[in-house]
Amino acid sequence: MAVRESSRHLARSVPRAFVPCNRTPAFLGRRNASDEAPSRRLSDQLDELETASSLSATVPEDVAKSFDPVARSKGRKSQLPRSRYQFRSPKYDRGPLHPHQPPPPSDPSSRLFVPGPFSLPRAQQTYNATVASDILTLCYVHTPPGFKAPVKAPRLREWDESSPYHKNRPLRGPRGGDVLRLLRKPIKFNNIPEIERITIHSYVKGAAQENSGWLHVAGMAVQAISNVRVETSKSRASVATWSIAPGRDTVAVKAEMYGETMYHFLSKLVDVVLPRIKDWPGVKGSSGDSSGNITFGLEPEQVALFPEIEVNYDMYPPKMIPGCHITLHTTGKSDKDARLLLSAMGVPFYGKIVH
Amino acid sequence: MASGSNSARRVASLMRPSRLDPGVCRSCQESLGRRSYASAATAPTGVASSTAPVSTPSSAIEPVYTINAGVVLSRPPQITRDLEPFEKAFFFYQKRLNERLALPFTKYFYFKRGTPADVDWKNKIKERRTPARDVGNYNAYDNDAWNDELLLGAKESEPEHMVEALVHDAETTANATSQDTSKKEEIPRPFSRVTEADKKGDQRSLNRLLSRTLYLLVQSKEGYWKFPSMPIEKEETLREAAERTLAQTAGVNMNTWMVGFHPAGHHVYTNRKPHVDQVTGAVTHGEKTFFMKTRIMAGQADLSSSAEKLKDFKWLSKDEISKYVLPQYYSHIKNMLADR
Repeated sequence: MAVRESSRHLARSVPRAFVPCNRTPAFLGRRNASDEAPSRRLSDQLDELETASSLSATVPEDVAKSFDPVARSKGRKSQLPRSRYQFRSPKYDRGPLHPHQPPPPSDPSSRLFVPGPFSLPRAQQTYNATVASDILTLCYVHTPPGFKAPVKAPRLREWDESSPYHKNRPLRGPRGGDVLRLLRKPIKFNNIPEIERITIHSYVKGAAQENSGWLHVAGMAVQAISNVRVETSKSRASVATWSIAPGRDTVAVKAEMYGETMYHFLSKLVDVVLPRIKDWPGVKGSSGDSSGNITFGLEPEQVALFPEIEVNYDMYPPKMIPGCHITLHTTGKSDKDARLLLSAMGVPFYGKIVH
Repeated sequence: MASGSNSARRVASLMRPSRLDPGVCRSCQESLGRRSYASAATAPTGVASSTAPVSTPSSAIEPVYTINAGVVLSRPPQITRDLEPFEKAFFFYQKRLNERLALPFTKYFYFKRGTPADVDWKNKIKERRTPARDVGNYNAYDNDAWNDELLLGAKESEPEHMVEALVHDAETTANATSQDTSKKEEIPRPFSRVTEADKKGDQRSLNRLLSRTLYLLVQSKEGYWKFPSMPIEKEETLREAAERTLAQTAGVNMNTWMVGFHPAGHHVYTNRKPHVDQVTGAVTHGEKTFFMKTRIMAGQADLSSSAEKLKDFKWLSKDEISKYVLPQYYSHIKNMLADR
């Protein structure tokens, strides 16, 4: 007893790194009785693990020089059958109880695997290193100690129970219009606005009025500038002069970009395309859907300025390159936040700024 | 009209008996006093009883500090950061995976039959075996396509190697397709990531450490390194004081932008013994410095006309700053400095 007491005392005085731990330094967590079975003893599994990282290990030079996987496989007398080394994911997911389960989509052998990322985009690095911290500083609102924010009226109003029919009615919308704006919280370290996705949308007038060639060219152009597969969409309105009817005509192409692709597109747009547009004043200051998404349009000749279209401009049929609308979706809850972010990323705004 | 109602409110707040902690600054007291009628009606009973005993005895005992305005003048990173070895390997591996999984390159969409560009393309693809120029010599549709991993010491995943491959490709295209065969085209290489100032170790230059944020540090006449800072004068906001500090210490030959009106960090220094001013007899216990974040756009610091007789200045990154300033000072400022 005394010995145990003193050792505990010692453990408190010695820095943590030197204190001996009487638990096995194996896996944490649950221990089952079956773990002690000789077939699955933990110590055996641990022996199989390599002690050092393969990145830090040094290989003797002659071993490294003589290693040639192609020659080795060619040197084999008989090749292994394909099924021994190539796993093919089952074509259909037949549910969780089926013996053949597809691998997760992050596995390169999965049919759903999408490779990437391939780089660390410059615009993303700029955002992380410079823009985000500046926005945090700019949007700081000082609340002195003891400050309590005044209580706001509820966004959805109750009915005043003046009529028996008010029972169980859904709440009333806000005063002065039925639009319920997004709730804007003060900007802290964990909700700094950032660009979430960019959408390119192009309505192709010729697709309904003439032939589908317009749509194919528009799809190729949008796909070339955005680096993602486009989706097409059908008309929803009925306009006789444009000869469209709901659900009948495929009239538009759309591409949505996220992550790395999105940041590469943004840098191309801001650094290559927009500066080369003649007499372009910028994005209109009143654009935006008042919940942090800013849209602007590009004319066909402006779309042709993208480097991907410029390299083989001759291959697009003349006058068929489409114009498009580009929407920059941000996580900002108001247009003011979105404009602050986008102007920091290099998108110019002009005219009266409407927040 | 707005100013009229504002000043009326200020007068009203002065007339109102103060229920507040004197530790709270004047403008904060105003915003605390500015509350809706409903909460004002309910508040006094609780608040008055809790804060009144605090406010009465304080004025004489409260230690007096000099309030300084500091300027954290920084130059943001100019180029992307160097990739980690793991990132290089990972990105390269993903590129080759993409080669294996993507549809084959549609040559006729990019090269018209029989043009010089088409001939040049045919020569190149024979040599390179893949349309991508930065994945090395690798054909994803070959029988050996499984051999997609780099061997030890391979240079293909290095960014310099990729840049060289792209430039070389552009040069051969320019030479093969140009009419004039006598002179060779030169495609300009990207500038070096390491500058002259890096090689010389010139810490006063703004052209050093392009991939890091640099901060302006000045050396006081006692020899301590710190951010530029000066006491706030009467009737001056923090931002005005910071702008004045910058102009008076580092000169006016800089194009700067002050980020917002709020300080990004602060530093409190308490003297061992309180200082007593010989002339006025005022006692100060130390100094509190509030740092305003500022970006430099152009120009360079110039200490020749500095009011505090500063000795020297340096542009340092975060890790270098920790070697120059005192540990206690660094512990206060480190959290407002960018890692990169």
